[in-house]
Amino acid sequence: MVAPLVEFRSVVKRFDDFVAVERVNFTIEAGEFVAIMGPSGCGKTTTLRMLAGLEAPSEGEVLMEGRVMNDVPAHERDTPLVWQSLALFPFLNARENVEFGLQMRGVAAAERRRRALEWLDRMEIAEFAERDIASLSGGQKQRVALARSLVIEPRILLLDEPLSALDANLVIRMQSVLTKLQRELGITFVYVTHSQSEAFAMADRVVIMSRGHIAQIGSPKDIYRAPANRFVAEFVGRNNIITGTVGKATAKTVTIDGSLGSFTVDLGQHEKPRQGDTARFVVAADLAQISTAKPRRGNAIACSLISEEFIGSVVTLFLEAEDGSELKVQLQERELSKMDLKQAATIYLSWAADQAHYIGAD
Amino acid sequence: MSEATSTTAASSAARQSSVFKLTFRLPIIIWQSLFFIGPLCFMVAMSFFIVRNYRMQEDFVMKNWLKMLGRDYFWDSYVLTWGLAGIGTVVTMLVAFPAAYTLAFKASEAVRRWAIFMLIIPFFTSYLVRIFSWYVILAESGVINAGLSYLGLGPFVMLNTKFGTVVGYMTLTLPLVIILQTFALANIDRSLVEAAFNLGCRPFRTIYRVILPMARTGLIIAAVFCFILSFGDFVSPYYLGGSKPPTLPILIVDTVKSGQQWPRAAVVAVVMMVTLFVVAFAGIMAAYRRRVG
Ligand SMILES: Nc1ncnc2c1ncn2[C@@H]1O[C@H](COP(=O)(O)OP(=O)(O)O)[C@@H](O)[C@H]1O
Ligand SMILES: [Mg+2]
Repeated sequence: MVAPLVEFRSVVKRFDDFVAVERVNFTIEAGEFVAIMGPSGCGKTTTLRMLAGLEAPSEGEVLMEGRVMNDVPAHERDTPLVWQSLALFPFLNARENVEFGLQMRGVAAAERRRRALEWLDRMEIAEFAERDIASLSGGQKQRVALARSLVIEPRILLLDEPLSALDANLVIRMQSVLTKLQRELGITFVYVTHSQSEAFAMADRVVIMSRGHIAQIGSPKDIYRAPANRFVAEFVGRNNIITGTVGKATAKTVTIDGSLGSFTVDLGQHEKPRQGDTARFVVAADLAQISTAKPRRGNAIACSLISEEFIGSVVTLFLEAEDGSELKVQLQERELSKMDLKQAATIYLSWAADQAHYIGAD
Repeated sequence: MSEATSTTAASSAARQSSVFKLTFRLPIIIWQSLFFIGPLCFMVAMSFFIVRNYRMQEDFVMKNWLKMLGRDYFWDSYVLTWGLAGIGTVVTMLVAFPAAYTLAFKASEAVRRWAIFMLIIPFFTSYLVRIFSWYVILAESGVINAGLSYLGLGPFVMLNTKFGTVVGYMTLTLPLVIILQTFALANIDRSLVEAAFNLGCRPFRTIYRVILPMARTGLIIAAVFCFILSFGDFVSPYYLGGSKPPTLPILIVDTVKSGQQWPRAAVVAVVMMVTLFVVAFAGIMAAYRRRVG
């Protein structure tokens, strides 16, 4: 039984009275691409900094390969970090920046230079090796920062919102650079971001944080298809969250009565709730269907169309139910063109029983 | 038609605003020419005047320059002043650094604010008074020697020595240098220091690998100020250094006293001014040079 590469054991981080990270438990295996995702201020950076030794946990333990790291200072850890601000040294040129970590490890000058240039070449910025940092573009700086961290051949790379300063097309480009690098090197990436698209595009596993807690850990697909709670369902977006009270419940299904109607939902792994409790379920926007005629069977909600939004060939329709709640449906443009929604007074949003996802009360 | 009107209006507005700017700049221009450039020109001119029967007369002779620059005692004094001000600057910069480092990186915002305030307080009292208070401490029967005698050491002569002069210089410069260094260090982006730790740099090593290169401009400015203040100081070398051998400011006073030689004193003063100009210029160039190596 090999110890995981990283383990957080009920880690708490307080700044004076303020709790930034609250009893966090998770493990990261060698070679994984893990994203830590959550809204701004939820404790992502603090978590990452504790892993790098730049912040000491107030309680609990941070372990690497079974060894408790709490008292190991930052400069004795091989946990290079790509900073949100990049934190490149402005008084050194690109190559000297990349050499810095090697110099600290006592690598001889010639060897240092060779390895730095090799990495700059690999990042496709060899021609800028002798340039001042200030004269590089955002994307080039990003690559210098990556080279500076990776040249020391770490087993784990920490990244704190590294793409947040880049413009949209460059972000997509760098995402593929990062995924490719991670596959080729076979090392662990821990990637902090508030962007769901970045996390879902790159990570094998996503840790979702909310106010210092972990809200859910799982594969992008788990999180997308089976949000564990309301926070995750809302944060992921594109979800219709329907609230009601528990009516009839069996071991497998539950009836939820609300202002939109009465619906039967699979319980999944959840325990049978008590009658009268508040309960919620989620219908993902891309799993919902619409029709102009009321479906004969199954769950349906009568709505009116408010607006539509085109992103490429995907259309999101924003609907309003009779009780005023807003619902969303996502469908292909060519499906939509077959329907004549503008003429219809009422649009029915429906879903197959097994595509509603129960999330309980919270 | 309406276009023409608007152009005239615009140009008259521009004229008005330039008059406005000039009005605001005028006082500083007058002040500078009255109290700085004027006296400076007069001093340079005076170095070519002659003295007859203890009375200065306008003239244009090289005699004062040849007399002063031809004398060994002038150059001895020049080297001494450089040496003392140089040592004073190095020692002050070194003593100030740990204090500034602590204030900039370790102290809380509130502590830093109070410390800066406390460092300004010495400037409230006369420098001369602060210098005289050193007599009590440095004298042969003073506080330090009394303390050392308990350990069976001393007494050491500290007054009327070069050591005394440097102590005096530091009385003048240390608070200012700590303040300037603290500002230089406090402006450093913390994440650069942390990035160095993160890449395996020991905390002590970050001082010369990251902190000094980042604070270079501010630190050089602090050193330049320190040197200028020490180089031109009369009080410390006179009262704590014993005035012999004289530094350049003392030489100026001595020259004036001995036979009303204002023109020769002006020669010394011009040499000092030129020296400080060169030092300040070289310092600023070094401070703003783009890269270290
Ligand atoms: N050094 C600090 N002192 C006090 N509060 C801090 C400090 N660092 C972070 N915090 C607080 O902790 C919370 C989490 O911060 P952080 O981990 O940076 O969030 P994010 O998820 O945006 O990266 C924030 O509310 C922040 O204000
Ligand atoms: Mg952050």
